[in-house]
Amino acid sequence: MTVTVFGIRHHGPGSARSLARSLQDFQPDIILVEGPPEGDAAVPFVAQAGMKPPVALLVYAPDQLQQASFYPFAEFSPEWQALRYALEREIPVRFMDLPQTNRLALRAKQEEKGEVEVSQEKSEEKPEGEPDEEDSPELLRRSLPADPLSWMAEAAGYGDSERWWEHLVEQRQDGTALFDAILEAMTALREEVEKKHPPNLENPLDRLEAQREAHMRQTIRQAQKEGFGAIAVVCGAWHAPALVEPLPTRKSDQELLKGLPKLKVQATWIPWTYGRLASSSGYGAGITSPGWYEHLWQSTGSGDRPTETAARAAIQWMTQVARLLREEDLDASSASVIEAVRLAEALAALRESARPSLEEFNEAAQTIFCFGDPAPMELIHQKLIVNDRLGQVPADTPLVPLQQDLQRQQKRLRLKPQPMVKVLKLDLRKPLDLGRSQLLHRLNLLEIPWGEVRSARSQGTFKEVWELRWEPELSLKVIEAGVWGNTVESAATASVKSQAEKALFLADLTNLLDQVLLAALNTVISPLIERLQEVAAIASDVTHLMEALPPLVNVLRYRDVRQTDSAAVAHVVDGLVTRICIGLPGACASLDDDAAKQMVHRINHTHSALKLLQQDSHLQSWLTTLQQLGNRTNLHGLVTGRCCRMLLDEGTLDPTEAARRLGLVLSLTTDPTQAAVWVEGFLQGSGLLLIHDDAIWQVLDDWVTQLPGETFIALLPLLRRTFANFSDPERRQMGERVRLGRQKVTTEEREYDRDSADAALPLIAQLLGLQPPSTTSQG
Amino acid sequence: MPATKSKSAKSKSSKSTAPSSNGAAPILRQHAEEQFATELAVLADADDRQRPPNWNLSPWAVATYLMGGTVGDTEISPKYVGQRRLMEVAIATLATDRALLLYGIPGTGKSWVSEHLAAAISGDSTRLIQGTAGTSEEAIRYGWNYAELLAKGPSFQAIVPSPLMNAMSDGKIARVEELTRIPADVQDTLITVLSEKTLPIAELGEEVQAVKGFNLIATANNRDKGVNELSSALKRRFNTVILPVPRHADDEVQIVEKRVESLGRALELPAEAPALTEIRRVVTIFRELRSGVTEDGKTKVKSPSGTLSTAEAISVVSSGMALAAHFGDGSLSAADLAAGIYGAIVKDPVQDAVVWKEYLETVAKDRDDWRDLYRACRELG
Repeated sequence: MTVTVFGIRHHGPGSARSLARSLQDFQPDIILVEGPPEGDAAVPFVAQAGMKPPVALLVYAPDQLQQASFYPFAEFSPEWQALRYALEREIPVRFMDLPQTNRLALRAKQEEKGEVEVSQEKSEEKPEGEPDEEDSPELLRRSLPADPLSWMAEAAGYGDSERWWEHLVEQRQDGTALFDAILEAMTALREEVEKKHPPNLENPLDRLEAQREAHMRQTIRQAQKEGFGAIAVVCGAWHAPALVEPLPTRKSDQELLKGLPKLKVQATWIPWTYGRLASSSGYGAGITSPGWYEHLWQSTGSGDRPTETAARAAIQWMTQVARLLREEDLDASSASVIEAVRLAEALAALRESARPSLEEFNEAAQTIFCFGDPAPMELIHQKLIVNDRLGQVPADTPLVPLQQDLQRQQKRLRLKPQPMVKVLKLDLRKPLDLGRSQLLHRLNLLEIPWGEVRSARSQGTFKEVWELRWEPELSLKVIEAGVWGNTVESAATASVKSQAEKALFLADLTNLLDQVLLAALNTVISPLIERLQEVAAIASDVTHLMEALPPLVNVLRYRDVRQTDSAAVAHVVDGLVTRICIGLPGACASLDDDAAKQMVHRINHTHSALKLLQQDSHLQSWLTTLQQLGNRTNLHGLVTGRCCRMLLDEGTLDPTEAARRLGLVLSLTTDPTQAAVWVEGFLQGSGLLLIHDDAIWQVLDDWVTQLPGETFIALLPLLRRTFANFSDPERRQMGERVRLGRQKVTTEEREYDRDSADAALPLIAQLLGLQPPSTTSQG
Repeated sequence: MPATKSKSAKSKSSKSTAPSSNGAAPILRQHAEEQFATELAVLADADDRQRPPNWNLSPWAVATYLMGGTVGDTEISPKYVGQRRLMEVAIATLATDRALLLYGIPGTGKSWVSEHLAAAISGDSTRLIQGTAGTSEEAIRYGWNYAELLAKGPSFQAIVPSPLMNAMSDGKIARVEELTRIPADVQDTLITVLSEKTLPIAELGEEVQAVKGFNLIATANNRDKGVNELSSALKRRFNTVILPVPRHADDEVQIVEKRVESLGRALELPAEAPALTEIRRVVTIFRELRSGVTEDGKTKVKSPSGTLSTAEAISVVSSGMALAAHFGDGSLSAADLAAGIYGAIVKDPVQDAVVWKEYLETVAKDRDDWRDLYRACRELG
């Protein structure tokens, strides 16, 4: 009866390769893998055809969905290889870690006590790297130093432990004796570390570690008791010394595991991505370069002659880099590939390592393919080194928690998914309707378009009208969205974060902010505003700035925002307004007709946004800018005309001055088309205003009446261009007003057509819900 | 080619005797290999690692020489302050007999690194071709001694070798400064040298073949982009290393402070040594505009068209000192700096002025202890 312990690094291709080979030699009749025992039932799915890593084993508490743990696996994860080996040989395989039943319950209890502030992101990271530092949330600390491996790395003359492990273990091509060496090293290291920092069982994190190892030992004892002859134990290297024979007494372990709280949990598989496997995503046992590891795993799979396969892996990698660059239209010749491989090898030699690692390859690629420029390296990083892609799980894997959460919310909010279109009117003052609206907005942010807004509440009303329709493929989208989180809220939050990072244009971000506020995703608001500030500061295009302003002003005026956040938004708005005012005169130069039309459109929106904002200093500098624009003679007439009109409306320009300008523009020396667009800009959209606003009417009237007859006839075609745009009734009313002349301005006496008025009365009464008047009507 | 060799030997000996024959007049600037002769000797003694053919030091020792360290009891001073990996790439490039192109904005120490690399590898940094708009092919290949040529006809004796030709026959490092200033057709002369490692002498039907250990370090300025862009054939034969501006503000402040101090002494300015705070402000403005982000990382700003290198920060501070000394009260104030800062930043009167104005209004204005500077700059702009 033998127990052999294989200490590995999670997601280490070298560990995986050595493990696969060692298992062949060892021929175990049972394999115990570090992982949650609740996952045992899900193991058979691993061998199914539809299962394509990266995937994650998800253990969650169905009653408390925010309590969940993910165990990601890639093809090159040693644990994955162990599972596959066992399934192929049809020998039993068991997970042996402390059950999540207890761990999630422990965590839930701690959170209740308020000891740990575990954010969703943090709590997702479960499987530990060889030292378990990532298990310790911010507030609580293990007694151990954060990275004990660095001691050994330093002793070996390496700057950091990652590099050391990489060179010694992951790049090793031979080495079935590797695990003995790891075990010996870790035993020595743990002795030393625990001497200096003895684990303290009062510290909940140290206690948890001890409990986990106790449970692992218990599982081994159980296997021994069942009579298995060759037991293979696969665990993080750090735990290896604790699991070798002779095991400590059973009693002490039983004592440790006594009285643990419990929580009902379930396990299932979900698709995972390489991006979320990368440590940059916040996953504790993450690796920096999943794509590179996959390459290492695939290119050295067979490997009888280690040095040759390694050389081939190097050349293949560089060729892939070159091909990627070529796809992106960057020159990368075969000669460059040769030079890059040579440089990488020379660099490795200079740094005294046997073969180049990713670092050397990157430096060689930057120097030779990119001519020293780091920008294309970003591309290589994304496409090759991280190589983000989504895994797949078989169709018959059990429901994911996000689906369950959605079902629960649908039930709570009494919203049934139905395949036919349904119109839903919401009154946002009612809590139920508000909840519905938030759920629908959140789903939209997750790109699960169940509902579509028919009328928005942009103007601060309490009504919102939705059109709902549940298409079958939405269920698939829910499973996909499961990557983001377990509840609709947390998933939407995570998704918004990633969208914000990707957004390049200011307007996208401001719109996103607006949606986030509608969806009431409060935690993501601050980071979003920060990102907004960042992008706003470098956005150089004034038109983008102008497009971004109205949604932000909307947010400030209408949305329910916390004090600090609204201060931050106000700060962004301040910056935007300042820069729009500085940049606008430049942006208005040399526009053609279409561009001018769009610019005027934007000026209108900015103007109304600023009016809405009601902040005097901004309005003042905006008006100053408009004045500058209005005074310039070399701009497109539409813009200057519009600006003069706005100034007139604001009272900055007095009516006589406006009339004088109108006269100047319409004088015969001006280019007729220029004059026409000026008037168009000046009178734009103001048919009704012209009828009811005396000031403008007066300006126009003064100007027309002082024109000599011949000039008037000459100008008539130009004016007609503008007036032709007004609607018929408007024009008729204008005509009437002209006919009545000046005296009409003061007196409101009018001859009523009683018959027509009577004809309209019944309808009005009906509209108002009154009894129809008793007067007879004439149909 | 015995003649070629003797010539180079002669020129070397005459150079080394020159100072002593002139008496005590001190040399303004020594070559790197002379200034740091002891460090190089110590490194060579301690160095037991493998050396590429004809190298004075192993690549490892060259890296130590550049980045600084301790060998035995001797402290090796750092020659380059910055990322070690850049120097390692440069050295590894030279070890794989690929030519090295140091690229970057002016004032980032390209020539300095090139000189020290040549000094450490070949023990001689003087095989130098200065690239200018007027650099001719003769300056890169070889010229003729016309008296010899007329008297005896074409022969090796009549050839005046270029530093490059000497480096090839001796197996040493040659340097080309400001490669992109050289006209494109002349640049391409280098292609044969770099790919075939040979320099044909068509007139004699002969060639000079490079001895092991020969290599070329070129420097180029990426602000001259498009002037005499390297042909892709030539570019492909270089490994490019871009030298960045100093990463940490403190490094840069230190560099500026040291240089300004020594410059001030040289010009005998009566002004007080500048206050560290003023230098820090100038460096901060330059760094923020250059990187496009404020130092606290919270706000982004636009970058102007100029380079804003450390060297320019030095000149702003020293001209501010001159202003303070001759027209002010002798101590450096914000008003003395404002003109210099404006001049350094606003190179393009339209675009840069907007950038500068935005920076003033959005960043400088909000800093309470920058009031004086903000006001001084506002008055100018």
